[in-house]
Amino acid sequence: MISEEYRGAKQWSRNRQAIAIVIWISFLTAAVGTMLFFAVFDPVDLTGMFDPDLDVSRDAGYAAGFFFFWILSAVSAGVTAWLVRTAPKRDAKHR
Amino acid sequence: MATKPTNATAEPLPAYQSAEKIYPREMKGRYASLSKLATITLLGLFYVVPWLMWDGRQAFLFDLPARKFYLLGLTLWPQDFPFLALLLIIAAISLFFFTALLGRVWCGFACPQTVWTEAFIWIEQWTEGTRSQRMKLDKAPMSWNKFRRKFSKQFLWITFSLWTGYTFVGYFTPIREFGVELVSLQVGGWALFWTLFYGFATYGNAGYMREQVCKYMCPYARFQSAMFDHDTLIISYDVARGEKRGGRKRGIDYKAEGLGDCIDCTLCVQVCPTGIDIRDGLQYECIACGACVDACNSIMDKMDYPRGLVRYTTERALEGKPTRVMRPRTIVYATLLTVIIAGLVTSVFMRTPVILDVIRDRNALYRELSSDLIENSYTVKLINQTNRPREFVLVAEGLPGLTLDGVPDTILVEGGDVKSLPIRARVPRGEIRGSREIAFTATPTDNPDERRVSESRFVGPLN
Repeated sequence: MISEEYRGAKQWSRNRQAIAIVIWISFLTAAVGTMLFFAVFDPVDLTGMFDPDLDVSRDAGYAAGFFFFWILSAVSAGVTAWLVRTAPKRDAKHR
Repeated sequence: MATKPTNATAEPLPAYQSAEKIYPREMKGRYASLSKLATITLLGLFYVVPWLMWDGRQAFLFDLPARKFYLLGLTLWPQDFPFLALLLIIAAISLFFFTALLGRVWCGFACPQTVWTEAFIWIEQWTEGTRSQRMKLDKAPMSWNKFRRKFSKQFLWITFSLWTGYTFVGYFTPIREFGVELVSLQVGGWALFWTLFYGFATYGNAGYMREQVCKYMCPYARFQSAMFDHDTLIISYDVARGEKRGGRKRGIDYKAEGLGDCIDCTLCVQVCPTGIDIRDGLQYECIACGACVDACNSIMDKMDYPRGLVRYTTERALEGKPTRVMRPRTIVYATLLTVIIAGLVTSVFMRTPVILDVIRDRNALYRELSSDLIENSYTVKLINQTNRPREFVLVAEGLPGLTLDGVPDTILVEGGDVKSLPIRARVPRGEIRGSREIAFTATPTDNPDERRVSESRFVGPLN
């Protein structure tokens, strides 16, 4: 039977799956966050607020903003995933 | 590529020995053609659209460095942000609507993950051959033939990915100029970075991750079932008709032997890009591509059985009841969609080319000038939403003897620019008592019909 051959299919490990999900979902969140944030704020104005001599192009500002949001949401999602998983694992047999 | 359906015994099925690699078998049929059509149309649009021109500039350009979006004749500025938000809401509700109606058509035919994977598989089939040839090639020791095939695949994949990255960046920065910069090696660092970033993501996702993105990473795959009901179109195996499955000799009365229509050829499993067995029922891995439907129909034709043992149908239809298209869920989604789309279209067409905003300075109620005048200060914001520079005349009315100071005869505002002017309004002392309403009018010199009025208050002494 075909399905028996398939039952042995190797699945992604929990860790691998969690890391992939955290990276991907935080990427999507960061994309939305960047869009909303920079629709309201111009990166050139923002850098001027901190240091008027700072000469940062818009491209660099967008990129910095995007990676900031990505890292921020990845940290949040990652810590959440990690804390949620500290609950005792239930064995599939006992379910 | 046509492949003769083979009997299961003719070929071993190591298709899923690990999650690392699935070798989907190529299949011809109705859904394969549909998917090909969708891939060619969508990818065609993606690669062609940034090259379209409109009025001497790129027709679709989300010019982030300049903070302007060009959509055909329309230019959107940051203050038009609500349009973008509405557009996103429309996209989300459309996804809900079509999912409730048609199941995962998005996944099977329109998702970039599917579309680019399809294109990458074409390249793979073209360079490495059919499913069995690919599996053999992967097992074989390195040889000139293997190297040549693998090298051509990688070369085509990487070229295609880089072109994809270039096209993607071309939506955000003028694509022609960007191309010239690339060729002359004078490209800005960030544009190059995003080209490589997007190119690499395409290469990794479409070349290697493929169905694993859908199975393990995609949030939509997890929640789409919440939008399903008994009237949603899904890929289903007709258990009542198919079971008991099994091989049989041609021409025998299999029904007398208690067999169903499924000959257990496993072709539906071999063609599945996510490597599932649809006969186990609807699974969240199923992206509704229809490959198993095509596969099964080809076998049914060979066996002279009616088509549709695996088919695109609803649970209600499988139970022999009629499918309802109009149901509360679809009606609510459709109504919402219609209302929001109508709202968006109206607001885009009613968008004014000029915005005038007058804010009264709150620091002082009023100032008394020695020349028997009362003065109030304002900040006037004038936004020119067109592409060309325009001149405006600003006047104020509402009180006798009202004059403006600090206003030039005409105010020049560049296309898409915001001009902020600190101005002072003055009224003779006897003419103002308490707070009164005044109106500022900005009139474009080239088209007085587009004048805008903004109301504010003028405050004077109480006695």
